[in-house]
Parts: sequence; structure tokens; C-alpha cells
Amino acid sequence: MSNETEVTRRDAGELGQRDAAGRRAVLVPAVDIIEDKYGVTVWADLPGVPKDKLDIKVHGDNLSIEAEAVVPTPAGMSVTHSEVRTSRYARAFSISPDLDTSKIDASLQDGVLTLRIARREAALPRRIEVTSA
Amino acid sequence: MSDFLFGHVGSDLFREFDRLQHHMSTLAGGFPASLRSNQSYFPPVNIGATDDAIEIVVFAPGFASSQFELSIDKGLLTIAGERKRPEAATGEGARSYARERFMGAFRRVIELPPNANPDDVKAKYTDGCLLIRVGKHESSKPRSITVL
Repeated sequence: MSNETEVTRRDAGELGQRDAAGRRAVLVPAVDIIEDKYGVTVWADLPGVPKDKLDIKVHGDNLSIEAEAVVPTPAGMSVTHSEVRTSRYARAFSISPDLDTSKIDASLQDGVLTLRIARREAALPRRIEVTSA
Repeated sequence: MSDFLFGHVGSDLFREFDRLQHHMSTLAGGFPASLRSNQSYFPPVNIGATDDAIEIVVFAPGFASSQFELSIDKGLLTIAGERKRPEAATGEGARSYARERFMGAFRRVIELPPNANPDDVKAKYTDGCLLIRVGKHESSKPRSITVL
């Protein structure tokens, strides 16, 4: 996964707005992406999302995260100030062929999703033994 | 870091201005010029009111409930805390491709309306959202008056 292959760009200015196609507005969650020898780790901020409202799909080399925040609000509440104006999150990434999409660990803790995607065996760095003739 | 007045900031016209200003500042590549709260601030906050209480939702994922500092002084509710990058994210030989999540110390101040009761505050942290409920003074709650 690299910056170039990332298919969605984060644009905070579009939060809560309808997209060009007129579909329902979504929030683009902020992410951190770190790559190391063994794979890639993605952290995504999804405040208000319980485990059962989180949907992670892998289709080919496309990884999509969709989620819905559930914030309990008492009946009869009138909103006086809102900076988060929609409850749906969506973001998609393209995954490098070096990564093994069958080996993805996902965990959701306190509104932070951690995705660990392992590198394929063939793509792992390895040492080549030199034998003397 | 932002203060905002409670109650009369929700107008759509101002929202549009905010959005435009934010968009312009994004295009210019500079810092947002707006001093009014918008999505650039961490954590974003939603505020609502019922007949009995003021409900505040703080969207702050990745904390332990003990890491928040909440205080009320002279009608100002202050929410402060610090978010630290996980250890694994700073490991050796690791390459970073995106660093969009807010890290560091934050402080947000919310001006409560005069009818808020500072002795009746409840806060709960679930799924990365801090829910704060500030009760209203009994005398300010709506009640029906019987005509004799």
C-alpha cells in the first residue's frame, strides 16, 4: 500500500457534504499508515462506531472500510452546535500485490480500528546463503 | 484550540461561510484562517439540549477514560487530554505513508449557558466518544402553570 495507490484522498472540507454524485454524505476517517518488514498497519479513527456497525471488505486489491457511528441521544434533544454532521464513514484503499489479503487482522478499540496486513511470504526480505564451491 | 459561544452558532449561513473559508484555506495550502470551530479542530464536538440537560458529544477515539481532564469553572467546561502515538508506529525501519490522525495535547473550552448546573455533570466514554451531560437548574426547566 502506498500513497500513490491510495484511491481516496482525505479532504476535511468535504466532511458532511454530499459528494459529486449526490450520494449520501460520508465522513472520511483520518488514518495513519505504517509499513515495516512484515507488512502494513493501518489505524483509522472511527469514533462512535461499535463493532457490529463496522464493515471491512476486500475485493481483489481493493480494501474498503465502511462504518456507522451510533451516538445515543436522548429523545427530544435539539442540536445547537454540530461539527460532525453525518454518522457514516467510508474509505477505500488499493492494496499492493506484495501484501497478503488473506492475512488481515482487524481490531476495534475505543473508536480506533487497527488493521494489520501481512506481507506475502515471497515478498518478505530474506537472506541468501552463499555456499562455497 | 477554540472557544465558541453556546447557542447561537448553528446558523446555516455561518456554516456556509465556514465551509467556504475552510475550502479556500485548503486550496491555499495554509492554515485555516477561521477562529471559529470547524472540522479542523480536535476533537470535534456536537452539542444538543433537552428540557433537562445539555448533552455534549466529544468525538475523541483512542483514549482511556482516565486520560481526559474535565473541569468546569465559571460556566466554562474544559475538556483536555493528550493522545500519544502507539509504540509500534515508531519502530525501526518502519516507513510512514500517512499521518492524518491527530496526536498530541488538546484543549477545548465550551461556554455553558447560564442555566447549566455545574454540580450535575455526568461523563461516559464509549466507542471513542465522550458523552457529557450537564444538568440544568431546576428553576430553568419548563413547567406548566396551573391557572386557578
